[in-house]
Amino acid sequence: MWATLVSAIAFGVVLASIIAIAAMGFTIQFGLTNVLNLSFGSIMTVGAFAAYLGLEQGINAWYGLVVGGLTGAVVTLVLGRGVFRLYARRGAKLFEMMMVTLGLGLVIDYTVQAISRNNVYQFTVLQAAPLRFGPIIVTPTQLIVIALGAAIFLALEGLLRFSRIGKALRAMAAEPSLARSCGIRTGQVVIVTWLLSGFLCGLAGVVYIINSQSVGYTTGQDFLPLVVAAAILGGVGSPGGAAAAALLMGVVTQVVAAFGSAEYSTVAGFGILVVVLLTRPSSVLSRGSAETRLTI
Amino acid sequence: MRIAITKQLAIAAAVGLVITGCAATGGNGAGGSGKAPLTIAGVVAITGSSSFEGQNQAGGILPAIYAIDHQGGVLGHQIVYKGVDTRADPADALPAMQQAMATTNNIVLVAGPDTASAPALVPILNQAKIPMTAVAGESVYNHNTLPYFWRLFPPDSANGTAMMLWAQRKGYTRIATVFGTDSGSQGDLPGVLASIKALHATLVANVSLTPDQPSYLSSVRQVMAAHPQVIMTESDATTAGTFFGELKQLGGLVPIIGTEATFTAPWLKAVHGALGSSFQKYYTGLITAPSKTTPAVTAYEKAVTADKSQVPSPWQSYLSNPFSITYWDGVMVVALAMVAAHSVSPAVFNSYIPKVANPGPGKTIVYTYAQGVAALKAGKQIQYFGATGLINFNQYHNSFGNQEAVGSNGGSQPVSLGTVTAKEIEAVSVSGVQ
Repeated sequence: MWATLVSAIAFGVVLASIIAIAAMGFTIQFGLTNVLNLSFGSIMTVGAFAAYLGLEQGINAWYGLVVGGLTGAVVTLVLGRGVFRLYARRGAKLFEMMMVTLGLGLVIDYTVQAISRNNVYQFTVLQAAPLRFGPIIVTPTQLIVIALGAAIFLALEGLLRFSRIGKALRAMAAEPSLARSCGIRTGQVVIVTWLLSGFLCGLAGVVYIINSQSVGYTTGQDFLPLVVAAAILGGVGSPGGAAAAALLMGVVTQVVAAFGSAEYSTVAGFGILVVVLLTRPSSVLSRGSAETRLTI
Repeated sequence: MRIAITKQLAIAAAVGLVITGCAATGGNGAGGSGKAPLTIAGVVAITGSSSFEGQNQAGGILPAIYAIDHQGGVLGHQIVYKGVDTRADPADALPAMQQAMATTNNIVLVAGPDTASAPALVPILNQAKIPMTAVAGESVYNHNTLPYFWRLFPPDSANGTAMMLWAQRKGYTRIATVFGTDSGSQGDLPGVLASIKALHATLVANVSLTPDQPSYLSSVRQVMAAHPQVIMTESDATTAGTFFGELKQLGGLVPIIGTEATFTAPWLKAVHGALGSSFQKYYTGLITAPSKTTPAVTAYEKAVTADKSQVPSPWQSYLSNPFSITYWDGVMVVALAMVAAHSVSPAVFNSYIPKVANPGPGKTIVYTYAQGVAALKAGKQIQYFGATGLINFNQYHNSFGNQEAVGSNGGSQPVSLGTVTAKEIEAVSVSGVQ
């Protein structure tokens, strides 16, 4: 029983690393722009397919992380500055913008579906013997995924705490009008936010398919609920909170799958979100109010 | 919640638009006979995680329509195909079917419905007097009494029993089951579980997989801890690729016996990619036994090849796809029934379906639509011997034959490993399912 628990926690950390990368990207963007971007999952899919196409062209799968990240960054920037800003200037509020992102996400999904001919494609990287640490069995790929998640978390925290752009980003997330009056170039900060969020989005798509070993047009959208849940659970705009929430959700789902039934593992993960929203709803609800201004 | 509801509404609207668009543009063009075209509605999942259903169907039906239309159609009517997307969900299937019935004239056949939408759609279709060649394997239809329901696919319980009989033949007694929680995958599970019990094997783990999760590590460990000799499985391609990839990576791979639904191009491709060279060694699928080379098989292959630009890619995968071949036969039988009845009215030709398919004294065996039409015109009674082999509807409108254990090298061409006969399957007393 003890061995099963330890093993499940380890598996939970692997899962959490995948969720956390996406959730950190999602929460940064939502925290600053106030756009609940439901096309996030679709952009993950685009990033994943970019890495797949790179692999087909002989680009190493690990370089595919960069390919996917850059693709996600470019697509997100184009959508953010080219589409979302257009709607925001025409008076779209939080809910309307959410519908716009949802519609765009569907357009992207069905475009990918048409181009990919509705097929599932294999994305196989490192196939190596598993490593054993007592009751814990993990593969080298999973260890790399955990290390990647941790590295991105530390890099992001460092960026936000110690860099000039990071401080500007935090200031804008807290109070955009005050930040603007303090001389912060808000337009540039928003661009950086779209790029950073998009890069993490594309990167998360590639990490996802490295672990799941396949990519299809629903890849990102299937994953989106977990990402949104972790971002909301961790407190909107807080990468650290998103990472902690991802860890909690990852461990809970794996422990429930190990001791209970796998059908209830996802239910348990979202159950945490429901409980937190019941006990601490203020931070999320204030963010979602109709009066919230979009910063695009 | 607000987000979720809004998203569902938007998805439903978008899917409706997409399906309507596909329906408006997806049919074969009708010929210039002056008679209104007849519609075959394909009622399966066309999008979503079970979208392989739609591919399997298109791979069999479009060539059948091609072959029939190139013979002048049915009684002068050309045939068109209309996709009705169930998304493997009754909530999507019901409005989609209602819309199709309200906006489409001359539906002479519903190819489907699939397992997930059958409970909602079968009664409606039967009431509307539309013949259906259902893909639903549930045991509830083993003793069907609805006149417009026909099933050429083996019931799920038969496939499950065949899997267990094959496992027994291989000496496996410790069985783990790994099935997706989607309704399509769950259909075969009761038959497998009941057969394990009936044949006195031991079920060491019964694992369910929620589709499309990023990882199934705890489920993998659960299976490994049970030390099974074999895993019996069905899930969608993505889920299977992830699960078996993780199983292999953690060193827990054992022989895999898959249901008929696993022997489809997406599943084979996904799991072959995850297992690499181990795939051929570990995988066996139990499928409807392919017919030996007959003129019916040749006609099917010829039509698929001729219509390869219309079927979903890769077109070669349908040459041996048991689902596609069965759909082909369903269309051929119904087309010949219309010719035999001299009517395209379902209320008239429905009763002719077994008359043109089942064996009987003095009947002329035909293998193709053209042969059937010629024989009927000559005043003969016919027995259509299909590309799947003998078709023989019982009193419950069910017809199924032997099951074949097949391997694969990752492609869709089955490599025969042995046969489990219908007689062997029927001899197993599986309580509660059959």
